[in-house]
Amino acid sequence: MVLKSLSDLKAIVAGGPMRKLVLAAAQDQHSLGAVIRAWKDNVIEPILIGDKEGIQNICATSNYDITGIRIIHEPDMDMAVEMSVKMVNNKQADVLMKGKIGTSTLLKHVLNKEWGLRTGNLLSHFALFEVETYHKVIAVTDVAMNIAPSLKDKISIINNSVSCLIKLGYVMPKVAVLGAVEMVNESMEATLDAALLSKMNQRDQIRNCIIDGPLAFDNAVSLESAQHKGIRSEVAGDTDLLLMPNIEVGNVLYKSLVFFAKAKVAAVILGARVPIVLTSRSDSEQAKYDSILLSAAASK
Amino acid sequence: MVEKVLSLKRKQRIAVAWAQDSNTIGAISKAVQEGFAEAIMIGNSQAIMDVCRANDIDTALFTIVPSDNETDAAEEAVRLARSGEADIIMKGLVGTDKFLKAVMDKENGLMLPGATLAYVGAVEIPGYHKLLFLTDLAVIPFPDLRQKIAMAEYAIEMVHKFGIEKPKIALIGASEKVSRHFPNTADYVEMCKMAKEGKFSDCIMDGPLDLFLACDRESVKIKGVDTPVDGDADILLFPSLESSNPFYKALMLFAGGQLAGLIRGTEKPVILMSRSESEKSKYYCIALSCLMAEV
Repeated sequence: MVLKSLSDLKAIVAGGPMRKLVLAAAQDQHSLGAVIRAWKDNVIEPILIGDKEGIQNICATSNYDITGIRIIHEPDMDMAVEMSVKMVNNKQADVLMKGKIGTSTLLKHVLNKEWGLRTGNLLSHFALFEVETYHKVIAVTDVAMNIAPSLKDKISIINNSVSCLIKLGYVMPKVAVLGAVEMVNESMEATLDAALLSKMNQRDQIRNCIIDGPLAFDNAVSLESAQHKGIRSEVAGDTDLLLMPNIEVGNVLYKSLVFFAKAKVAAVILGARVPIVLTSRSDSEQAKYDSILLSAAASK
Repeated sequence: MVEKVLSLKRKQRIAVAWAQDSNTIGAISKAVQEGFAEAIMIGNSQAIMDVCRANDIDTALFTIVPSDNETDAAEEAVRLARSGEADIIMKGLVGTDKFLKAVMDKENGLMLPGATLAYVGAVEIPGYHKLLFLTDLAVIPFPDLRQKIAMAEYAIEMVHKFGIEKPKIALIGASEKVSRHFPNTADYVEMCKMAKEGKFSDCIMDGPLDLFLACDRESVKIKGVDTPVDGDADILLFPSLESSNPFYKALMLFAGGQLAGLIRGTEKPVILMSRSESEKSKYYCIALSCLMAEV
């Protein structure tokens, strides 16, 4: 199965047990709104950890009815995060979400050696885009976490993403490794890595997906472009997952899809014991909601 | 843009290298019929005439110069430009590497002495309130400071031709923060300093800026970043070909964008487009090059 739209995630969530989402330092206007909406839609069961008064004030001014939601009072933000992470560690929650704290604070606790959520895998950012002009949802990684991943890092990033896609119901997702050109060019390291990743995939060193690269963006998403250039590839024009060479490229592409192509987006951090939702102030309400939906679908 | 070119009331002579694909022939014939171009088509004359016949295009619209292979065709186009028989050269079905090799040839090419070769594109996007100029889209994988300065200057010069006196140029990064993890941001700081000292042609320059801060006023407000570009960029300068290439392709494939672009750093305008580009895009490129060729 492949996703045609982000709302397809709802069916996946509905098919499984109710996931518990813990919101760390929950006294945060923009994440609370999305969490409560997801709760009302039966997507997740929230647990709010943070300053109880702060949470209640926000809910009162915004007219959120939170009767029935579990709130744990912890005014110290650092402690609230620690408690949230431990809760996941004790299997009392299935998804972790960032509230009113910086990303680095959250990650510090996630990576704590004693009671953190490390699995030995690299943490990576994974985003799903619904673009009107593409025939299905397209996943893009990593646009926000790893600055300049090495070949080894890229393997982990692919593995993280592919296991997530499989949880969403994909079978042998098609992975395009992005380059500025579709030819291997010794002066562009990304194209060399792309060739290596493709070969490693052929040799079963990276499994459960079909990898091809380097592919330029147009070859990856348009069969017509690929055919025009005479590229023979199972992935070209039908990409499920697009691997970025580095964060500079990913950031620009992510923002151009959202701003210029009016794409809907859902994003999650993978590689920890559970999916982690990190939304930022500039994300739309819908994007925050869809990210919660994605993380619930990806937590199994 | 086309109106601007027509208002010049001048015809430019374009030499097309290996001119036998239908998109190129279609675009050229349109430019000739509109009256702002004359064309010299270099290539397999039989193939050119076959394409014209299949698309109902009158071969009398242009001069055909027979050539047996793509390398010869590229060299012939460059020769015509050097001898003054052509004002602009354009890549047809010839491969980019062969075409650029002829352009960059030290003895017989078209390079200005000591100049950096860079590509500046103009893209029209339904989701943006004006034309957006982008550089570099085709030539320099990882531009250094000197090359970035040249790229900026070429783009500013092009925007000036459109009558915008003080274009806003955003130096694109992953965020607005200067960081040692992103060596490009150090170049950007240097460039902004130069811009303040008036070392660029008239412009407003800022960077690093991410795409939102460059193109979206709303984001500038939300993030509270103080930038003179203010979400209203005319020009985006990219840190690498890796970032610019998927950006403009995403605009074209997913956001309804139309691109026109040119190689700069040469004695005469050079039109270089992917072979798969649409007829419309090629037509816009021709119009843009005629605008830039105007003295």
